[in-house]
Amino acid sequence: MGTRPPLARAKQLRGVLGFVLLFAIWQGITSSGLVKPIALATPEAVFSVIVAGIADHSLLINTGVSLERLILSVIVAGLLGIALGVAVGLSRRFGSFVEPLAAFFNAISGIVWLPLAITWFGLTWKMLLFVIANSVFFIIFFNTLLGIRTVPRVYEQAVFTLGASRWRSILDVIVPGALPGIISGLRLGLGFGWRALIAAELVGATQGLGFMIYSAAQYLRTDVILAGIIVIGVIAFTLDALLLGPLERATVERWGVYQ
Amino acid sequence: MIGFARAVAPFAAFVTLWAIVVAVFHVPQDVMPSPNAVAVAFGDAIRKGVLTVYTGETIRRILLAASSGALIGVAAGFFVALNDVVADIALPVIRFFQSLSGIAWLPLFIVWFGFSDKTIVVAVWYTLFFPVLFNTVVGVKTVPRVYRNAILTLGGDWRRMVFDVLLPGAIPYIVGGIRIGAAFGWRVLIAAEIVIGAGGLGYFIFKAEAFHLTARIVAGMLTIGTLWYLTDFFVLRPLEEATIERWGLVHR
Repeated sequence: MGTRPPLARAKQLRGVLGFVLLFAIWQGITSSGLVKPIALATPEAVFSVIVAGIADHSLLINTGVSLERLILSVIVAGLLGIALGVAVGLSRRFGSFVEPLAAFFNAISGIVWLPLAITWFGLTWKMLLFVIANSVFFIIFFNTLLGIRTVPRVYEQAVFTLGASRWRSILDVIVPGALPGIISGLRLGLGFGWRALIAAELVGATQGLGFMIYSAAQYLRTDVILAGIIVIGVIAFTLDALLLGPLERATVERWGVYQ
Repeated sequence: MIGFARAVAPFAAFVTLWAIVVAVFHVPQDVMPSPNAVAVAFGDAIRKGVLTVYTGETIRRILLAASSGALIGVAAGFFVALNDVVADIALPVIRFFQSLSGIAWLPLFIVWFGFSDKTIVVAVWYTLFFPVLFNTVVGVKTVPRVYRNAILTLGGDWRRMVFDVLLPGAIPYIVGGIRIGAAFGWRVLIAAEIVIGAGGLGYFIFKAEAFHLTARIVAGMLTIGTLWYLTDFFVLRPLEEATIERWGLVHR
């Protein structure tokens, strides 16, 4: 590990260089007039939209509203998904009944429910919660289930041999063993949820980042659209890196698979 | 026969429960139609030809976007991964674009291409391309350097290295990328069809909502679910089984 820091720093610098290059290309094609501002706003224009949005709080409010919806949905869907995942993982018979149904509903999870959810709840926060939680639930459920099924039977039998109760085996062996699955489910859930949220906000909301960029499209405001895309992207990237980074370090990098 | 019965039983039980709940609680048809009403709406939409045409549209779009997205994604992934400096520069940017759903770009694509078929296909393509690209780069980079050196020492050229060493080594990652890309891409497709309104199953269910044809919405949802279920069952799951389960990671 002694030689790692300078190498890692070179890697980081190159990573930053990637974004600098991307930015330079964007600057180049917009300010040279190759691409018209109506098709792609200049970085300066986008930057001033972001600054103005922070100054008059409109961007902050839209971001806050979207994040609030995401967090609420992930909490609701996470609790339900983990609970059902553990229940199904423990009982083969229950599993063989629930799993095919869950697989089918997973196929239509999220945005497919939008029209029906609008019929049921109108254009309200309940509608958004339903659509987003719905798209998060199944991914957490299936990952919890997979996590539980990858816990080797022997470990469970070992605690039983040592005189543990069923309850102890669940709390001390199965759930901790399933934790990697549960965590990756939550991570994927956040990603799925954020995507579903933006999609649902395009047509089903009067606030939030999705609404902001979609209404900007109707006025051909590519500066506002790009500002929204950048905020959405930075949040998605952060959600990913926050949870993916530590996980990757704990598994892939520790096992030394990376060259 | 028993296997078939067992596969159908949960669905039969679910539909029965649904029919009983709707009948016992007198749920209004525009809130939750009975299975029977959905079957009628389904038959009606097929007879009028709407459902078949829109299903065809949706299938055409996903096939077009998935095949080109996966192919170009793998090719671009190798291009990026073969040089360490290029990979270090490009990977964070690729990861950024991968985190950013195609649906977020939809407003910009609308400005560029209008409310058209092209906008939908481009959004789906984008959503599929980046996970495949990202996973291909990661997959190629996880192949131990020794293997590359080994085949070069044995006199293999770069073509042998790519096709005999790197591609087989990266396949599990590529499959993972295709799986997640297809899952995201399918959702973006339906979402884009809802927003754009240029035909397709997303448009079918959203249009039905405007006329409060709830039975038609449910019929459309079932069609979407069945299509995705079949894709998952016949294409994506066998792919996954060939990789993850073969390595013996699943015990139960």
